[in-house]
Amino acid sequence: MDLVQSLVIVFLPFYLVAIVLYLIRAIKGPTIGDQVLAIDSMTYDLAALLVILGLFFKEPILIVTAIPLALWIYALDIYIAKYLEKGDMGG
Amino acid sequence: MITEIITYIGLALIGLGALADLIASIGMHRFKNFYLRLHATTVGTIWGAVFPIIGASLIAFVYEPLGPYKYLMGGAGLVTALIIILLAPAGSHALARAIHRAGIAKVVPCVHDELNPQLCGDKQ
Repeated sequence: MDLVQSLVIVFLPFYLVAIVLYLIRAIKGPTIGDQVLAIDSMTYDLAALLVILGLFFKEPILIVTAIPLALWIYALDIYIAKYLEKGDMGG
Repeated sequence: MITEIITYIGLALIGLGALADLIASIGMHRFKNFYLRLHATTVGTIWGAVFPIIGASLIAFVYEPLGPYKYLMGGAGLVTALIIILLAPAGSHALARAIHRAGIAKVVPCVHDELNPQLCGDKQ
């Protein structure tokens, strides 16, 4: 293992613990806003984790999965916000 | 020489992002209601996702074991960081506006709420 791999494997548990804590808040959040907010943060961190894993496994093609994740979670935000405000998903 | 400097900067950004991520996820449990948790989300998306992706892209530009695709990884990583830094604040803002308009979460602590006085929680 070279320098990049041996340091990245030290940082990986921080991201995993953070994702588990976000998941707990996403399951038990009191209102729907807390749940969507926790899923939001969790998915952005998952995108960052995928880029770092691509560096760790020396697989550059893993970067392609990070862009759709970032776009999908923005779509979730907008859909939930529109549904709460207007009462339907309408076009 | 320049290769080592860029690698060290990228590794420092990844470590900073790991620490900020952990702090944000703890803050998600320590804050009391929805409007306060927006602070933790801001830390978790900008410091915890944008900066590690920029650091990983900087490393990928000079990291030889990635082979011929290292420029693809660096460039696509920078595009991902740009997408997240544009879309994450817009999404949180739209969600907060919708939650307040639908009257789902109360504003606590509250001094004065001109938009909807019924949502004002316990006064301080």
